[in-house]
Amino acid sequence: MKLTFPTRVREFKAFDSKMKGPELKMTVTEEIRNRLEAGLSPRHLEIEDQSEAHRGHAGFREGGESHFHVEIHAAQFGGMSRIARHRAVHEALGKDLMGRIHALSLTLEE
Amino acid sequence: MSDAESRIKQTITANDVVLFMKGTKAMPQCGFSSRVAGVLNYMGVDYADVNVLEDDGIRQGIKDFSDWPTIPQLYVKGEFVGGCDIITEMTLSGELDQMFEKSGVTFDKDAADKIREANG
Repeated sequence: MKLTFPTRVREFKAFDSKMKGPELKMTVTEEIRNRLEAGLSPRHLEIEDQSEAHRGHAGFREGGESHFHVEIHAAQFGGMSRIARHRAVHEALGKDLMGRIHALSLTLEE
Repeated sequence: MSDAESRIKQTITANDVVLFMKGTKAMPQCGFSSRVAGVLNYMGVDYADVNVLEDDGIRQGIKDFSDWPTIPQLYVKGEFVGGCDIITEMTLSGELDQMFEKSGVTFDKDAADKIREANG
């Protein structure tokens, strides 16, 4: 027997996945926030989507979320060189997410 | 060693200061590369510019070599110093001046001070 689903069910599923499926519907900003909070336990975390300022530049895409500035204050940066701090952020974000961000500018403090 | 890696090593050995960038020091093709090249140009630093947009091997190779995912990348005396954020911070704090002095790289100290005054 062929099962058919009314449109309503599909709409509900889409709605449901938005509410419950962070892996599916998370924005890049949310994903950056989640990974940095998990990886660095920051005391202060500010994520700014600066994509609009780069409209027309390389890497810009409609809808934004291509160019970010992130400010992080985290205790674990203490005693780390500037390069090591940046590398810790790259690692917390992961290669896949880094690959989806065109430009990432960082301000990193202890 | 890959071809790109050996060419990178050769370049950072043969030149005291090397900027791997998008575009050239005379015509940068990206805002971040432009900022770092602009600082070095303004400070009168003699440096080699490597345009990664003209060489896919170097473009990926330098990221692997430095374990650093972005361009630009500055090397001084064979050592990786950082990308745009780090060079900007070091310029404003005076650390870049100190590093050039320590490495025997000549630069215009007055110009460096002017950058700091204008961005203080």
